[in-house]
Amino acid sequence: MAKTTHFGYKEVDVEKKQGLVKGVFDSVAGKYDLMNDVMSMGTHRLWKNYTISSSNVKEGDHVLDIAGGTGDLAIKFRKKVGPEGKVILSDINGSMLLEGRKNLLNHGVIDVDFVQANAESLPFEDNTFDCVSIAFGLRNVTHKDAALKQMHRVLKKGGTLLILEFSKVENKTLEKIYDLYSFNLIPKFGEFFANDEDSYQYLAESIRKHPDQETLKNMVLDAGFEFCEYHNLIGGIVALHKAIKA
Amino acid sequence: MFRLTIEKSLNHLINANNIDLTHIDNKIVSFRVDEIDLTLFFLCLNSRIFVIDNQQNKKVDVSVTLSKASFLAIFKGASLEELVENEEIEINGSVNTAQQLANLLSSSSIDIEELISQYAGDIVAHQIGQAFRQIKKASVGNDGSIINTIKDEITTALIAPSRSKIFKGRA
Repeated sequence: MAKTTHFGYKEVDVEKKQGLVKGVFDSVAGKYDLMNDVMSMGTHRLWKNYTISSSNVKEGDHVLDIAGGTGDLAIKFRKKVGPEGKVILSDINGSMLLEGRKNLLNHGVIDVDFVQANAESLPFEDNTFDCVSIAFGLRNVTHKDAALKQMHRVLKKGGTLLILEFSKVENKTLEKIYDLYSFNLIPKFGEFFANDEDSYQYLAESIRKHPDQETLKNMVLDAGFEFCEYHNLIGGIVALHKAIKA
Repeated sequence: MFRLTIEKSLNHLINANNIDLTHIDNKIVSFRVDEIDLTLFFLCLNSRIFVIDNQQNKKVDVSVTLSKASFLAIFKGASLEELVENEEIEINGSVNTAQQLANLLSSSSIDIEELISQYAGDIVAHQIGQAFRQIKKASVGNDGSIINTIKDEITTALIAPSRSKIFKGRA
């Protein structure tokens, strides 16, 4: 296994990446939702709604939301699974989980379990969940292959994996505009709204280092999923990969 | 969006009516409508239906090839056996399995005509885009004027469509 990996555009020791990512999310946790709204101009809500619509989740289902952060998806999943269902919000970062707990309480949602866990070694039994989701989290995982295998392991047969993540813009003109926006404006927004330019510089860089749509699809299939397809949102700025364990 | 709409409608129907899917569990049924270049793969797993666009090299249990009219007729409750007898569709695999799925499609509240028109609209948009790209490509290497090339192409398309680059390669 490689001894170095990327942290944004920097090459760092594999063992250090997790701590560095933790530092980023410790720093941004309190302003995470605000920054999402500012950076995406609110469209992250539409992307998440689309993810829920694509989930095929029904009453009684068990859902695991990995890197669930402030709990936007967990709140929506909770409504879909009904009283017989179960939703677990997991995140490797304690600060994000605390924000998630506050956010869920503010929405009047109390029946979601919180688990602090590393996506590369999920503390759940095999074949437990009907749906596993990870929204804007996979690119921060050091060993994505290992995490995808874990997601496959904990899903039931017929379970659905949903990966919502920034991806590769397909249109060259849009790509140029997007590059200008993300490398120039996003760090400035970070400085202005969250007093943290560096973390948002990392965000812009980490998006470019994340596998493109086809590469990620192949990684998902290699992890054991029998079916995987993706849907580009806003020209590929974001893509939703949907995979099925058969 | 096309597949997502069908998938959501079918699963809503299944959940609302507690429909037992064991008879089609773990089966892949495909519907191919050549006229509109549409193939849908229906996969039944975990008491729900997934509508996917690619069977990822997995064996298809039943494949149904049909016309657009027959596809619409299925949503209105047409019997597959009758359609087969009238040679309006071709089924490879168990007709019974295909009929189970057809029954679900006809019981759903899917407005398939609306969906198809949207889907066909996408094709039209795609063809317009393709024609525009061809015109743009053609303008490079001539006198470089895209306006002149468009004028010439429109004239050719109106007078002699078969010679027009807009329609080139489209049977």
